[in-house]
Amino acid sequence: MTPATPEPALRKTLTEETFFLNLGPQHPSTHGVLRLLLRLDGERIVTCQPVLGYSHRGHEHMAQNRTYLQFMPNPPRMDYLAGLMYNHAYCLAVERACGLEVPPRAIHIRLICAELNRISSHLLWFGAYLMDLGAFTPFLYAFDDREDILAILGEATGSRLTYSYCRFGGVARDINQAFIDGVRAFIPKMRARLKDYDTLVTKNIIFVNRTKGVGVISRERAKAHALTGPCLRASGTAFDIRKAEPYGFYPQFDFDIPVLTGGDCFDRYMIRLLEIEQSLRIVEQALNRLPAGPVKAEGVPQFITPPSGQYHFSYETARGHLGIFLVSDGSRVPYRMKWRVPSLSNLSILPVLLPGTLVADTIAILGSIDVVMPEIDR
Amino acid sequence: MNLLLRYIGEVTSGAWSLAAGMAVTLRYMFKPVTTVQYPRARLPLPEAFRGPVELRRLPETGDHGCVACGECARTCPSGVIKVQGLKARASDFNRARFYFIDFSRCSLCGLCVEVCPVQALMFSREYEQNGGSPQVGVADLLARIREARP
Repeated sequence: MTPATPEPALRKTLTEETFFLNLGPQHPSTHGVLRLLLRLDGERIVTCQPVLGYSHRGHEHMAQNRTYLQFMPNPPRMDYLAGLMYNHAYCLAVERACGLEVPPRAIHIRLICAELNRISSHLLWFGAYLMDLGAFTPFLYAFDDREDILAILGEATGSRLTYSYCRFGGVARDINQAFIDGVRAFIPKMRARLKDYDTLVTKNIIFVNRTKGVGVISRERAKAHALTGPCLRASGTAFDIRKAEPYGFYPQFDFDIPVLTGGDCFDRYMIRLLEIEQSLRIVEQALNRLPAGPVKAEGVPQFITPPSGQYHFSYETARGHLGIFLVSDGSRVPYRMKWRVPSLSNLSILPVLLPGTLVADTIAILGSIDVVMPEIDR
Repeated sequence: MNLLLRYIGEVTSGAWSLAAGMAVTLRYMFKPVTTVQYPRARLPLPEAFRGPVELRRLPETGDHGCVACGECARTCPSGVIKVQGLKARASDFNRARFYFIDFSRCSLCGLCVEVCPVQALMFSREYEQNGGSPQVGVADLLARIREARP
């Protein structure tokens, strides 16, 4: 473990009294078990080195010794905050590999659930981030809204966090009237809540001063570090898998990809609130045109076997670009399954972003990137 | 002078933003409480709730319908199901003689319920299950059926 060399400009001001500080792995604002090895000069950070691997469970290896169906409960446990999206992505990847047709009703239900999951993930981030910055009240409002989503998704999926709802060729069960009523009631409530969030947080002078101009990632640097998701879009690049390589019925829906150009913590905050609005639009449209019909394709074999070959599938999760690389040798068990998770590349910006900032800003920057450690460690 | 004016402007707008935030909080103070006081009040369980798996009791016989084919045990990703069957006569259907699930390692994915060819399994609606040791999680599903029988 050799710490990266400090930037030349910093080296000049460097005194002999630098010391190491372990931020994490149990720090409440590292969101999981991230350990940041910080070299400090007083309050100022000289180098930063993330230390990973505390929650490694070997998901990729697990995939190699069980059938495709048996791996179904695993993906939601990688990113527990957007579990349904991982479940959805895994199903789509295997379906693409096998060339399975999915009934339109199932596709709509999946999109509704995935977008609701995106909102709930952003809400949890919103609450936790503001808690890191010392504001407690917004956390309670965010969790109130999130609780609504969990109740709605529980109505369809039967669980609250690690959903394994999608199946190859459809979804596990049809949605009921309580689900539809719940979503219809939730959309206007959430829109009204977003206005309150604006008053409560976005215009709050303390919040603005702590986040504006802090942790600025330029457009080039964001691209160089392969940032995706809200972090990339806050730096001025309009890239979203839902538009770039669409899956499901996304091309038929009318929604925008919000882009901001500041690249600082405030823009990364703002972009997630804007994404919640867009997700609400998608959910509303999908619900309005929900077709009737079956929710699961007929004749899907229990032991699904993609033809031998290599497959890659991209998915836009709440944190960015999720890539699933699947190698099949034509047997019931995957030969290799590699998961490209968004948080890892988003985290890779920290060693170049943090030097020169203050410890208090570290919390603001780290929180704004929104890493979920179990998906990095897998 | 210009700087002073800007400073005063910033202070005023900042103070106003804090007051506006407090007004939001104040408004919510007079709205209904959203918290449910859990042990005294409970939320209704969703229809699809996935509790620990149990054997379905057939209404006509009061017995279970498990034929001990072992499909659930083979499908289970965690390998927590043990089921063994017995035939009274060679021409009879197989009947489950014992059925154990170790819920301490079960992730409630529900694949066992889905693959069952005779729909003998279902999700229970229990959710307050904790214990002091891993052995507490091992459930004898047939014993539950026997207890429930008159």
